[in-house]
Amino acid sequence: MTRPGYAQLQDVILDPDFPELDLALRRGRHVDRDDVAWYALLGDAQDHLEAFYRRYGCELIHKPDGYFYLLPTGDKLSRRQLAGGDMLVGQALALLYLHPSTVERAGLHTQEELIAQLAAVMGSDALIRAFNPKRRRYDERVAQKTVRARVGEAVRRLAGLGFVELVEGDQLRLRPSLLRFAEPVRGLSEPAEALAQLVARGEIALEDDGAATRDDEALADDAAEPDRDDRASDDDDDDGEGASGGDGAPPVERVPGGDDGDAP
Amino acid sequence: MIAERRLSLELGTLDICFLVALHVRGEAAGLTAFTEAQLEDVFAQASAAAEPKADQLRRRATHAIQRLRDQRMLARVDGQGVVRTGEFALSRLASGIVQFFLEEDVLTRETLGLLTQSLRVAIAGVLEAARRAEGPAAWQDGVVGPLRVTITELVAGIERRQRGLDLSQEDFQAEIRRLLEADWFGAIDRCQDLLESTSATLRELNEVLLRDSSALLALLQDIEDLAIAAGEPDAEAAAHRLMDQVDRIVAWGSARQRAWSEYFQYVHRYLRDVVRLDPTRALMQRLRDQLAGAGRRFALAYAGAPPIRLLRAVAPIPDRPPVVRPRAPRERELAAEEGEDPQAVLDGKVARALGAGATALSAVTGEVTAALPAPERFVEAGRVAQTVARLAHASSAIERPWVAVGEDLEIEDWSIIGGTGGTGRAGGTAGAAGPATAAATGDSAGEPGRGPR
Repeated sequence: MTRPGYAQLQDVILDPDFPELDLALRRGRHVDRDDVAWYALLGDAQDHLEAFYRRYGCELIHKPDGYFYLLPTGDKLSRRQLAGGDMLVGQALALLYLHPSTVERAGLHTQEELIAQLAAVMGSDALIRAFNPKRRRYDERVAQKTVRARVGEAVRRLAGLGFVELVEGDQLRLRPSLLRFAEPVRGLSEPAEALAQLVARGEIALEDDGAATRDDEALADDAAEPDRDDRASDDDDDDGEGASGGDGAPPVERVPGGDDGDAP
Repeated sequence: MIAERRLSLELGTLDICFLVALHVRGEAAGLTAFTEAQLEDVFAQASAAAEPKADQLRRRATHAIQRLRDQRMLARVDGQGVVRTGEFALSRLASGIVQFFLEEDVLTRETLGLLTQSLRVAIAGVLEAARRAEGPAAWQDGVVGPLRVTITELVAGIERRQRGLDLSQEDFQAEIRRLLEADWFGAIDRCQDLLESTSATLRELNEVLLRDSSALLALLQDIEDLAIAAGEPDAEAAAHRLMDQVDRIVAWGSARQRAWSEYFQYVHRYLRDVVRLDPTRALMQRLRDQLAGAGRRFALAYAGAPPIRLLRAVAPIPDRPPVVRPRAPRERELAAEEGEDPQAVLDGKVARALGAGATALSAVTGEVTAALPAPERFVEAGRVAQTVARLAHASSAIERPWVAVGEDLEIEDWSIIGGTGGTGRAGGTAGAAGPATAAATGDSAGEPGRGPR
């Protein structure tokens, strides 16, 4: 896997692309073939970098679908997990990625199509409830507006992590790393068993009721204050009060969203 | 006019098939007109294709022929009326409709090669005409006309077919989707065949474009050079415009090749990563169930290192002087100072003038006010008169003469009888009441008789 130019780790670190790639990986960025230079660097220096990141308590994961990402397995590097709303949006995007219509449009979809997909699969009421969890009674128009706003924010966060690329206008280019959202149902084994394996590897964390509620509360609070700054809400929740993840998974920080704006 | 005549067309699928079949039969057999028997025969073929289960062919053929005649698609051309069975030809309207549906205006290697060859021959002919042309008429007929009409049409033909190819590309992408939706795993081979064939077509088109475009551009450049040398701006402009069009065609080929390359990779990746790994298409259903709420909720984990904190470069803060209250009193003590009495000064000046032997008020005024600016002289003249009256004995006639003092001042003059230097009063009527009247000239010339007080 290591090309002659990267005979040693020092050669990798001296590569001009390495600093930005390293920062992006540490902030949760998924790198696929569309990130041509980074993907080539990771592919060529995979052996060196796997050993390098292992010293930081991380695994450099390379999926057969054609993407890399960094997964913290120890406590040396912060570890986060996606919020409930982001997970819903990510799964809907993964569904769109698998749909044949994606081939026709070379991976481009609009945000409206994404919301339509969510509504079609979950049902409009469930979708509204998912993004307005604390409200027993709601104005339909306001609730729908909140859903659109929350989905837009989730898309931006997922774009920062390299799951989608924001193209001009309202368009999104779906990227292969979205298949991570389908990991629990990809194999031949039962989803519960697959989930347990993924949890054991630290790839995912199961949401216990308390954690889910807290997450939903954060969403609801945000919905009540539509103008509130996203980063502020991130900081509020990023208090190190990590959900255990259960089942022996490493502790994680639970935040409604990750860093955004780091994509090259 | 069209609204007044209530024109309309009503053509079903069978009618269009019938027209197309007639057109094809005519092309194949070199027919310009069809007998009634031929019409019925062609209708039978069209009906077999469009409505295979329909019966009563002859009756339906009669109706179809009548419908087309009513709508001016078919016209009887033999002019024999009832004498014998008629002959019918497709009208221009019908030919237009058929060509719209039938003409394959899509760029292929064959059509592009044919068009570029024709273009090359035509441009070479124009180049020859340009070399022989003598005079504007020859340039117009032999060069500008063909460039604007014949060759522009050929180039437009290529561009039209390019647009057709673009449309067929969109159809192709939709076709890939349809194939996958209809037969998920089984469609892989068919999709790959489609991709390969389209790639080959685009590659061949690009080869033809690259090969022929340089020759076309060289010929057009020669024509443009000749036009410049002959001073024919029309021909130069026409050649230049065509060169732009050829450039555009080549750019189109490159752009499509690039775009296709990306799409090609994307579809291959999709077929490999999605279709082959999920042959039964179960993944989509399971993912849909997961999104709908089946199973336990989970969240993906990812690295979330905070951004590195870069400390700001600190500049040394300069020592600022302490803030203190001024000790010295802000307000100075008031002190009495000797002032200069302007009247005393004036008295001195007047006395010096009188002492020097001045015998008229005008002389004293002129000397005392010589150094003053004009506006002040007017005011000062009054004060001088008062001072003179006080310091000397003055007399005046009843009609006092106006005497100029400098260039911009006139005063009513007095005679001064003996300067005293004391405090005697001026005699006569002058005196305290205002002994003299002065008038300013120049700016104040319009105000005669205005005297200083």
